[in-house]
Amino acid sequence: MDPRLRVVDVNVRVEDKEILKNFNIEIGKGEFHIVMGPNGSGKSTLALAIMGHPKYQVTRGNIEFEGRVINSIPPDERARMGIFMAFQHPEEIEGVKIMDYLTILLEKVRGMEKSEAKKLILKRAKEVWFTEDMLSRYINVGFSGGERKRFEILQALLLEPKLLILDEPDSGVDVDSLSLISLKMRELHNKGISILLITHYGRILQHIDKRIVNVHIMKDGTIVLSGKEDLVERIEREGFKKVFEECGCGG
Amino acid sequence: MRGLRGKDSRRYLRSVVAVGEIQDIKSIIEEEIETLRRRNREPEWMTKLRYKGLRAFLEAPHNDPILKDPLDFVVKGSEEVYPEIKSLEDLPPEMRALLERLGIAEVERKYVAGLAVQSDTSIVLNEFLQAWRRRGLIVESMEDAVRKYPLIKDLFMQLFNPYESKLAAYHTAVWNGGIFLHVKSGLKVPMPLHLFFLIQNSAMAQAPHIIINAEANSEIHLIEGCTAPILLRHSLHLDMTEAYIGEGAKIKLSVLQNWPEYVHTRPMTRARIGKNAEFINTTVGLGTGKSNIANPKYWVDEGAYVELNGIILGQRDFYVDLGGEMYLEGRGARGINASKSVIMDKSTVITRGIIRANAPGTKGHISCDALILNDSAKMETYPGLISQVDDAELSHEAAIGKIREEELFYLMSRGLKEEEATQLIVKGFVEPLLKDIPLEFVVEIKKIIEMAVSGGM
Repeated sequence: MDPRLRVVDVNVRVEDKEILKNFNIEIGKGEFHIVMGPNGSGKSTLALAIMGHPKYQVTRGNIEFEGRVINSIPPDERARMGIFMAFQHPEEIEGVKIMDYLTILLEKVRGMEKSEAKKLILKRAKEVWFTEDMLSRYINVGFSGGERKRFEILQALLLEPKLLILDEPDSGVDVDSLSLISLKMRELHNKGISILLITHYGRILQHIDKRIVNVHIMKDGTIVLSGKEDLVERIEREGFKKVFEECGCGG
Repeated sequence: MRGLRGKDSRRYLRSVVAVGEIQDIKSIIEEEIETLRRRNREPEWMTKLRYKGLRAFLEAPHNDPILKDPLDFVVKGSEEVYPEIKSLEDLPPEMRALLERLGIAEVERKYVAGLAVQSDTSIVLNEFLQAWRRRGLIVESMEDAVRKYPLIKDLFMQLFNPYESKLAAYHTAVWNGGIFLHVKSGLKVPMPLHLFFLIQNSAMAQAPHIIINAEANSEIHLIEGCTAPILLRHSLHLDMTEAYIGEGAKIKLSVLQNWPEYVHTRPMTRARIGKNAEFINTTVGLGTGKSNIANPKYWVDEGAYVELNGIILGQRDFYVDLGGEMYLEGRGARGINASKSVIMDKSTVITRGIIRANAPGTKGHISCDALILNDSAKMETYPGLISQVDDAELSHEAAIGKIREEELFYLMSRGLKEEEATQLIVKGFVEPLLKDIPLEFVVEIKKIIEMAVSGGM
């Protein structure tokens, strides 16, 4: 069986700059992968390229989802195939009420009935601390850091993708939100969803069974080191610089 | 002369051959004036005013950028004529379907709100309005009002001068149809009053005259629907609105325009806003016609507040030129001119709001936002802030641009197609200015915007 995601020898160019170089990763059904790396190593570029941002051009290699090359497939189609990316910096969309937006999403993407959709939205929203009142706010407008990240999780909960990419869901978030996001990540993972988590800190793993995670360290647009959970601890303890020196990678 | 042709024919066509000479134009207008005089059994002052309009027409400057030859529109056009309408049941089926589609019938059922459908000589009133009439709300066709209320003489054409332009002059000479709305001092009407123009049985140009006379401390929300109920295929629509807002009154006027694309429209609106009064004038131009040029003017007295909100949908080869001049005349007067335009295809939208601060402590703000959906659409904005005093606060901001790629990507990455995502963003863009429009209309307005966005893509 084809893995959920396979990135093979991929280069990605943004404007005139090659950011990802000869990048490879493979994520199977229900697997949990963590990508770490210093700022500017290309972590967000990886996420955006998988999601299909038009500015992120795959100039070499293939991105495959369930065996299908998706290099030139538009983002909406990728989403409908089952890829979901929780943004590091979610966009504000003026004038669009959350409730209206989520309803349309469930109608158009999951083919649900309006009344059924609204019921599900109310139920899921509550789980991530969005009250009914808050659902009449505009998308991400005036949201706190925690609210933004919880709203991303809410959309993932509603859409139930096959592959969930989380780009720093722990940055700019209060401790309570962080714990909730970790819990919800576990809940989604338990449903068989494959996870690609981009993070700087191990704290987001507080509710995750650490034995199951695969950790990859990026430097200059490629993975230089892979391992298990202890790698996260090592980086938190020693920092990237020392780890890179010790492994002699990407010197 | 007028008759039904064929057994199922509810309309007939009449066309006038264009003639180019001044003398002919003069006699054509004269003939129109005489017809109106007789038909309406007008008082003499009105006929005199019409003849003043005719004289002005021959002398006044013509400065319309689109309608080059002023003589053209006087005689052009053919029309469809429907039989007389006495109640909503008499409306042609397509018209009833339209009102239904616009949620009017729904609004009426739900809130028993006022719905007055205006034809050129009579008004179809429902029970709600008849009850309010007893409390001091007058809604009358302008023809009847001119005959019945001496007060009209002091209001009619007080905010306009027929000599200012050929179009104003022509309107003065041949105005027909329109509404007189009078709200008695202190009367607060809690439901919005919907007004739809149906103009029928008229060989004249479409030139309704509307007067809103709101006495001190009165409150009303008037919704004018210039939506497709246009039965005449005239090429020019010249409506004129004069609003007199008394001290402390709170008046909302929402105008929904959905003109067919073959017409040129020149809505002329002016308002005098009394001390501490409030006037909120929202225009939603969904179908703005082939060309739509408006330059409303507002005179704002001490402590009064005026808000001019414009939502414009520019499509196909439409040409929309929206002015809006505010004169902050009294101490502490405030004015806001806000517009949001969605522009696509080969349409052009121009906004030129002007705020003049003529008294101390006044505040004015112009904001102009536009979303341009493709490269051949055009937007221009010329804000004007003119202060005669030291301590006025005047400001303007403008943001013209395309939909941001990041916004579009955010929505598409969740599975919405480009078209669906664009519709959502465009609807969100206009949303803040729809705050005073009843929900039923907002739903319909959004549907029309969705269709336009799809068509433009």
